[in-house]
Amino acid sequence: MNRTELLNRLQDIFRQELQDESITLTEETTAEDVNGWTSLTHAQLINNIEDQMNIHFSVREMMGWQNVGEIMDSIERKL
Amino acid sequence: MIFNSLPFLLFFTVVFFLYWFVGEKNVKVQNWILLLANCFFYGYASLKMLPVILIATLLFYYIGLKIEHAYDNPDSEQAEKTGSRWTTFGIVIGVGVLLYFKYFNFFIESFISLFSLFGLQSNWHTLHIIMPLGISFFTFRLLAYVLDVNHGKQHAETDFVRFAVYVSFFPCILSGPIDRPQFIKQLGKLRVFRFETAQDAVYQFLWGLFKKVVIADNCASYVDAAWNNIDGSDASTLCLAAFLYAFELYADFSGYSDMAIAVGKGLGLKITDNFRTPFFALNIADFWRRWHISLTQWMTDYVFMPLNLSFRKNGKAGIIMAIIINFLIVGMWHGDSWIFALYGLYHGLLFVPLILSGAFYQMPKIQVYEHLNLPKPKDFGRILLTFLLVTLGFILFRADSLTHFAQYLTSMCKMSLFTMPLVRSALTRTLLFTLIMIVVEWLLRDKPHPFAVQNHPLACRIIYIYVLIFCILEYAGDAQSFIYFQF
Repeated sequence: MNRTELLNRLQDIFRQELQDESITLTEETTAEDVNGWTSLTHAQLINNIEDQMNIHFSVREMMGWQNVGEIMDSIERKL
Repeated sequence: MIFNSLPFLLFFTVVFFLYWFVGEKNVKVQNWILLLANCFFYGYASLKMLPVILIATLLFYYIGLKIEHAYDNPDSEQAEKTGSRWTTFGIVIGVGVLLYFKYFNFFIESFISLFSLFGLQSNWHTLHIIMPLGISFFTFRLLAYVLDVNHGKQHAETDFVRFAVYVSFFPCILSGPIDRPQFIKQLGKLRVFRFETAQDAVYQFLWGLFKKVVIADNCASYVDAAWNNIDGSDASTLCLAAFLYAFELYADFSGYSDMAIAVGKGLGLKITDNFRTPFFALNIADFWRRWHISLTQWMTDYVFMPLNLSFRKNGKAGIIMAIIINFLIVGMWHGDSWIFALYGLYHGLLFVPLILSGAFYQMPKIQVYEHLNLPKPKDFGRILLTFLLVTLGFILFRADSLTHFAQYLTSMCKMSLFTMPLVRSALTRTLLFTLIMIVVEWLLRDKPHPFAVQNHPLACRIIYIYVLIFCILEYAGDAQSFIYFQF
């Protein structure tokens, strides 16, 4: 999976989890840019990513993410 | 030295002129003036404890640099290990200082009670510990700093003066708001005096002062009288006192926060918000997004989030666990008593229906009739219900023990609930001023702060200032200490 495919895959997960088809992600997207991506929905989003990609993140890793690009970096290291 | 006192007025006048005239063109001078002002302010309040905050500041400054230095290592695994070790050290020191000064005797007493419950004797003794003022506030600032540096959200501060100003900033040191390390960024830039900002600061300060001395202090007289004579009071009086306590607490703490934020503005610095019209919250989750915001956000980022992420495989049960633990800590943060833990647990449990129904994830917005500027009946009902639940929680917050709480609650549930409450002196005007506060905050609920009137015509603003000063001078209640100083 290349970087663009990974970004599209994440975008689908975000759209499905947050029930918003208008969500468009870039590597620079942060929680502030996405309606509904809050501290409350964050854990559900991560859980969904882990389940669909069959990977596992550490809490420390997750706490350090600043934007979508950094989530992608973590995923790429695990795939 | 409280904001509504002559010593503070003199102190701030001196700081203000030195800061804007001597430090006008040099950011380093501005920061040094702030640091000296912080030391004087803290030393004036508690000279003995000044070394505690100074040593803690030095230590965390060093830890921050060590964490950042650790991540310079090209071996990322080793870097993470060393960085985490220094962060853990910082957390142990920060939490340890807080536990020792604030909770040591509480734990000893709890163990003694537990042992005696099983008929066991223990020869443990409590210690005479003086709690440093503002410890709950400055330790949270220090902890946030090491955690953010470790997560790469914040660079370690190399300038000690800037770091020390962040930790000990005098408007917030005794009662918050709890600013985050991002505050330090402002200290790197020269602050320029802006008349409009200073004007806005005056409006916010006066509004905060009005809430504190006219509303909170007047409510306090009625509330204290009721709590001091629970058995001799009618249920209706106790019920009214419970509502007034909710307003007292809000006016006291938000009044302090408004004044602190205004003082910060007067020095060209933005302090984080602490309240956003909490009594218009539509449910308990909404309430905590509006009440003591700086603490709620701190807890969300550093306690709830890691817990929620750890429990993510447990679905809603995981969220409930994370919320309950989070609110138990919020409760205990307020003081060394099991009653505060119960207060936290109560609020945590109020979240359960919201989590189960999914309402927890929504950010509700009040539906209003545009032409009347009044909430629609359904939302008015939700606001009222949330207020009732919060007021019930505040009875727990105000009680000294569970027995005390039960006594108050049972005394409130008597037939005398349907009689007229006792009318003490100043009650009518207390209720009137409280109503004015509610109406003003409702009308200005979408503004940056509850008394943001800088866009109003000049004549109106002059009248506002005149009325506020008149009320403060004429109708101030008996001077009371700020409730949150004890925490």
